[in-house]
Amino acid sequence: MILTEESVKAIKEKVKLYPQRKSAILPALTIAYRQVGHLSDEIYQEISRATRIPYVEIAEAATFYTMFPKAPRGKYLIQVCHNISCALLGADSLIGYLEEKLGIKKGETTPDNLFTLISVECLGSCATAPMMQINNDFYENLTRAKVDEILEELKAKA
Amino acid sequence: MATETKKDTRTAQQAPTVTLTIDGQEVTVPKGTTVLEAALGMGIHVPTFCWHPKLKSVGACRMCYVEIEKMPKLAVSCATEAMDGMVVHTDSDLVKRGRKAVIEFILANHPLDCPTCDKGGECDLQDLTFKHGFDDSRYDFLKMRFTEGAVHTTFDDVRIGPEIILNRNRCILCYKCVRANKEAFGEYDLGAFERGNITEINAAPGREVSNPFSGNLVEICPVGALTNTDWRYKIRVWLTKQARSICPFTSSGTNTLLWKEDHQQKIFRCTSRRNDDIDDGWIADVTRYGWSYVMAEDRLQTPLVKKEGKQVPVSWEEAIDLVARRLTEIDDTKGNVCIGGLINPQLDNESLHAFNKFMRVTIGANNVDHRLDYPMLPAQGDTAYSILSSQPFSIADIDTSDVIVSFGSDMLKEHPNEYLRMRKAYMFRQAKVFTINPYAVKNADIASVDVVYAPGTDEIVVNAICLAAIEEKLVDAGRAAGLKDKIVPNSAAEAAETAGVELDDIKIIARSLADGKQVTFLVGELVARCAEREPIAAAIANLNRLFGLTDKGQVARLARYANSKGAEKLGLTPFPAPEVKAKLERIFGGWPENEALTTDKMLVQMNKEAINAGLVVGANPLLLYPDREFARECLERLDFLVVCDSFETETTAIADVVLPLASWAEYAGDYVNLEGRTQHAEAAIKPRFHSRPALEIIEQLARAMDKPLFESADERRREVAEVLAAQAVLPWPNDYFEVSFDNAAADSEYTIPVFVGDDPHHAGHLTEKSPSLSNFVSEAYVEMSIELAAKLDVKAGDSVRVESEAGKVIVPVKVSDYLDTDAVFLPRNFSSAQVNSLLMRKKRVNRVKITRVAD
Amino acid sequence: MSFYSPVITNAAEVAQSDDLHLFRYVEDPEQHNVDTYEKHGGYVAWKKVLTSMQPDEVIAEVKNSGLRGRGGAGFPTGMKWGFVPKDSPKARYLICNADESEPGTCKDRVIMERDPHAMIEGMAIGAYAIGSHLMFCYIRGEFGHCIDQVEAAMKQAYAKGHLGKNIYGSGYDLDMVVHTGGGAYICGEETALLNSLEGEKGLSRIRPPFPAVAGLYASPTIVNNVETLAAVPHIINRGADWYKTMGTEKSAGSKIFSLTGHVNRPGNYEVPLGFNLKTLIYDEKYGAGIPNGKKLKAVIPGGASTPYLKPDMIDVGLDYESLASVGSMLGSGAIIVLDEDTCIVWSIMKLIHFFRHESCGKCTPCREGTGWLEQLITRIEHGEGRPGDIEKIDDLCGNILGRTICPLGDAAVMPIQSTIKHWRDEWQYHIDHKKCPCANTHEFK
Ligand SMILES: Cc1cc2nc3c(=O)[nH]c(=O)nc-3n(C[C@H](O)[C@H](O)[C@H](O)COP(=O)(O)O)c2cc1C
Ligand code: SF4
Ligand code: FES
Repeated sequence: MILTEESVKAIKEKVKLYPQRKSAILPALTIAYRQVGHLSDEIYQEISRATRIPYVEIAEAATFYTMFPKAPRGKYLIQVCHNISCALLGADSLIGYLEEKLGIKKGETTPDNLFTLISVECLGSCATAPMMQINNDFYENLTRAKVDEILEELKAKA
Repeated sequence: MATETKKDTRTAQQAPTVTLTIDGQEVTVPKGTTVLEAALGMGIHVPTFCWHPKLKSVGACRMCYVEIEKMPKLAVSCATEAMDGMVVHTDSDLVKRGRKAVIEFILANHPLDCPTCDKGGECDLQDLTFKHGFDDSRYDFLKMRFTEGAVHTTFDDVRIGPEIILNRNRCILCYKCVRANKEAFGEYDLGAFERGNITEINAAPGREVSNPFSGNLVEICPVGALTNTDWRYKIRVWLTKQARSICPFTSSGTNTLLWKEDHQQKIFRCTSRRNDDIDDGWIADVTRYGWSYVMAEDRLQTPLVKKEGKQVPVSWEEAIDLVARRLTEIDDTKGNVCIGGLINPQLDNESLHAFNKFMRVTIGANNVDHRLDYPMLPAQGDTAYSILSSQPFSIADIDTSDVIVSFGSDMLKEHPNEYLRMRKAYMFRQAKVFTINPYAVKNADIASVDVVYAPGTDEIVVNAICLAAIEEKLVDAGRAAGLKDKIVPNSAAEAAETAGVELDDIKIIARSLADGKQVTFLVGELVARCAEREPIAAAIANLNRLFGLTDKGQVARLARYANSKGAEKLGLTPFPAPEVKAKLERIFGGWPENEALTTDKMLVQMNKEAINAGLVVGANPLLLYPDREFARECLERLDFLVVCDSFETETTAIADVVLPLASWAEYAGDYVNLEGRTQHAEAAIKPRFHSRPALEIIEQLARAMDKPLFESADERRREVAEVLAAQAVLPWPNDYFEVSFDNAAADSEYTIPVFVGDDPHHAGHLTEKSPSLSNFVSEAYVEMSIELAAKLDVKAGDSVRVESEAGKVIVPVKVSDYLDTDAVFLPRNFSSAQVNSLLMRKKRVNRVKITRVAD
Repeated sequence: MSFYSPVITNAAEVAQSDDLHLFRYVEDPEQHNVDTYEKHGGYVAWKKVLTSMQPDEVIAEVKNSGLRGRGGAGFPTGMKWGFVPKDSPKARYLICNADESEPGTCKDRVIMERDPHAMIEGMAIGAYAIGSHLMFCYIRGEFGHCIDQVEAAMKQAYAKGHLGKNIYGSGYDLDMVVHTGGGAYICGEETALLNSLEGEKGLSRIRPPFPAVAGLYASPTIVNNVETLAAVPHIINRGADWYKTMGTEKSAGSKIFSLTGHVNRPGNYEVPLGFNLKTLIYDEKYGAGIPNGKKLKAVIPGGASTPYLKPDMIDVGLDYESLASVGSMLGSGAIIVLDEDTCIVWSIMKLIHFFRHESCGKCTPCREGTGWLEQLITRIEHGEGRPGDIEKIDDLCGNILGRTICPLGDAAVMPIQSTIKHWRDEWQYHIDHKKCPCANTHEFK
């Protein structure tokens, strides 16, 4: 079992909220993602068993949505918005700056398994651009100085 | 055509209509019809990719554009309801531009590898591009590629199931396969993953697409994305011709086409031939792939005769002469009642009738039966079971029923076609479905209530429903009068407890039966094959009477084999229905006087050496009869055994004469489906090797005995038609049956109830010889729940010994998540394990113990 | 890192105004608390509705107010509510669309983070109006803090008896579920949202049937934007006539505009509909002009799916009909400003990448078209365009526009077509000179 008893319980609770059990797929995937940090076939199977929703339906939904990584990633998943409003305020160079600082290319994970860097579509922080999301948290109005500070802080915490 | 199909009058009510104009022609259609259906109905061709007549419209491919006046945009006709006064153009310039654009978009990333694609010649994309598309593509980028590994090739083939090859590059994402799989079949082994332009169809991760309807996915794929190994790259489609056939493996008689090439005398594949009354165009895999046994190289090639203990090939003349001589001898010395005949109800009407006449006239014995797998058949003709079995039934009426009950039936395995209809009623019309069985079956996911009762308490469950209806006053008192006194136990609660089911579930079912406007109540093989079927049938007859079900629907036991209904209607039983018997008596010029013998009774007589010769046509009783030891003992006692079959089997092995039998695909014949509908199957090829159709063999035999059966083929046909026209439906009695019950205690050592039936990919002993079907399942197994597997400490694939009082087999374990009790299931008809050796014919519930075999 | 988005708002100005209302308390750090919300007049409308109004009266009031959907399409809200069949035996559902994913749009997030009860109260009133006893808030999954805020607020609302059984002794039951997305812009489109909420993939559905007739679980369903619903309690409290005093004849009320891109003060500003776009961009109270004194190149007035405006078109009212008259749309109210150094083709490349990535893949023109367009536009921006590419793009756009299941296809091509119309020379330059002519100075600080 990958999912903890707590997660399974939370998933089963979600099922009860909806008139039809299938509605619990996204909440279940979210719970699994929050626990594990990514999703996988085994996780779909475990969710299927817990919810009695067909396995393939869970796998289909999971692959449709882009928020959940489908493979293990670094402790901190850095997602930089590269859409228009952020791009106008330098999102591309922000990505370049992060690549340089972390010594990896977009899509890669640092050798210490701390950071994975990817770029994503608009995250709804357009008026506080440029921005990035690290795990669950948004970091907005970014500047080089701020980025330096954030990375230091995270490294220290890790 | 003689048919007992009931036409439902409810649907024929005056439905509201709308009138619209399509391409200048006015047309009136029922309200709710789509513009596309209206146009197609007028013979106007509107191209489509994603539309399927039996699936919900999704409007995805956008190929079916039409222009509707006063609408600002092109409309997708497949998802636009026809409205009064609409003026529709299906061929305007705007429409043509719209279609061209769709084709161009689809072709952008399509590999255009037609020369190496097996769909060529029957590809919708090819045909529609030819008709509507651009002649060149404006897409000048590298086409998007799905590849396995690093090799870039248009042969991007992935096997996603035993018979299915997927080429994702050719897929145009019409989603028909996934939709059909979920919507129509209720199967979850295929999906569409990712999204947008990288969406891909594939098997569920780590699984195979191997459901019992998987072949349909290939058939409905409009391009060469899904092909099957059965057919691909064997021949170009335009070199083949088609014979209009019907399924010889299921009792629905789903309509099919056999694709053949005359020069080579070869069959290449089987596809559906949609007949909405019967099959909606969906056929089970067993139907689609079963044919390939016909082309097997290990078929029996010549007659064999046992000489000095060894079977040796002989000519037909020699074999027929020998059989005629020996039968005459036995007839002369021991009397005609000393010869018994068993015939497979998968054979055609004329063969069955000839056999009947041969046994009852030429031989002059009443020893005829086609029910080889039903033990302890009643020794008279007017039982509750006979009445129930004779009831009319209509497949199409399942569609319109609002309440559907399947009782004692593993529908998916035994009646795949009716299973789909039940699903359809649930999916499209929100019909209430109830499944009531002694073990959990797969179709239960559509059931509003799924009842799993204790094996051996079948009639108590039915009584519980009746009692609940009386207690809750769901039926009027006059109707209920007298029932309570005739059945046990005293209350619904007690009955529910005895059967180990929830009283609330029983009440819900009772209420639905009472409230239902049109009820279909189906009774399956678990009742038919039960050694004590009479009380169950009586309980069902009571239930029917109490709720008045036949007045508002249908109650029927579903016939199991392709021509079981024909065999019944043609009187191939010891006790034909009175009118049938009267007809036969006239045709035969009399009726044999000996006591009519069922399969069981014949075996008993053989055992007593009161029957000395046996004639078995197309059947393999040693593998099928639910008590292998007993059957073997009896058959081995015969002085003379003749077996006609297409392959060597356990039964041919002990025969004195073996005659090679032609398959259904090698001669033309008529078959009566479970509705009583007579259908014709054309011959696809000539009989292979030296095999002969059963009819021919029987006629030759009669001639060799100097008693020709018919003066002419015309006479034969006339006789068959005449018998089929006789009323075979027996009336329900005017009173309730007594239903008593004694609860037999479980055996001590053997505790696990065992059910033996067919694997969904097989039917009868012939399909094992189909290489395609063997790709799905090629050996027997024991299917059990996750819990039982855990209890026994075994996992899928482990070898276990399954042992009963009667015998034992060693088989691998299959674990299924839908099973939820301790009962296990084993498929019969595999030579890898004779599972009928676990059964004892007199036992109502057979029980086993299971132990792991050390590796 | 602050809990709230540090986004600039004009809350101070709103607080001074008699009429603007959505942002009145968004700078109050306690506003998300039910007590503070109540102190500021919260849940009064809900109580009024439950204790003294019939559903029909609620619908009539909202209809009369002229409130139109703030999620993009601008459909009259009261009219939509009126479409729910009165006699359907099925359950009805109200869904708040909080999937906010349209590039440039970041307004709903402010409401959810800072004034979540306004949305919940609006949802409750809408639910009552259509006879729904179960309502959902579909929040995009990335909005972790919004989700926490809304869930916390929901719990408070239950605790205070604003939600749950027999609310205020009226006999009316109402439950709420917060449902979170998984990263898919298309799930903001209402039919895809319904599929997603049902546990299907977020594929759009063909209409009819419209959700109001057969939506979630095939039952009558109303989907409304966060901002739309947040306005409803104010309409109930102060009346339809009051609401109509703001805005223009056909665009009543106020609206939040997300002003982003090349402006000195990017932020969210609540102004009456009909407010002048140029003022919003240049006035010191709002955008305060373009950084570094640069000139304006283009404005996308309603989010990434709306046609671009040239500088000479921006002296226009921010309302549904005025923007339509200059060939664009109010959309979600996301105003994206591009300075003179920004390449039009580059910006379009950013947008089409987004739409290709977010196409659900169900219908052919959108699925195949956006992919093809992205490749064509990218090669032009990279100086690899071929003669005829622009014409091809325009033609492909025509083959997508109006031909798809949901408006995502239209959304993807309308901006493209507008730029080919207004900046054709710049497009052509890329092809003729095999390079981008613009400085594209988008460095971050
Ligand atoms: C591709 C697409 C994305 C959309 N995204 C959103 C969204 O994120 N939030 C939203 O409220 N409406 C969105 N909409 C509009 C919704 O479909 C719907 O019209 C709206 O939620 C209705 O609410 P309203 O009437 O209050 O505006 C989107 C529409 C489309 C076509
Ligand atoms: S595999 Fe065939 S049937 Fe399935 S979506 Fe693709 S083209 Fe359609
Ligand atoms: S057939 Fe109508 S959209 Fe595909």
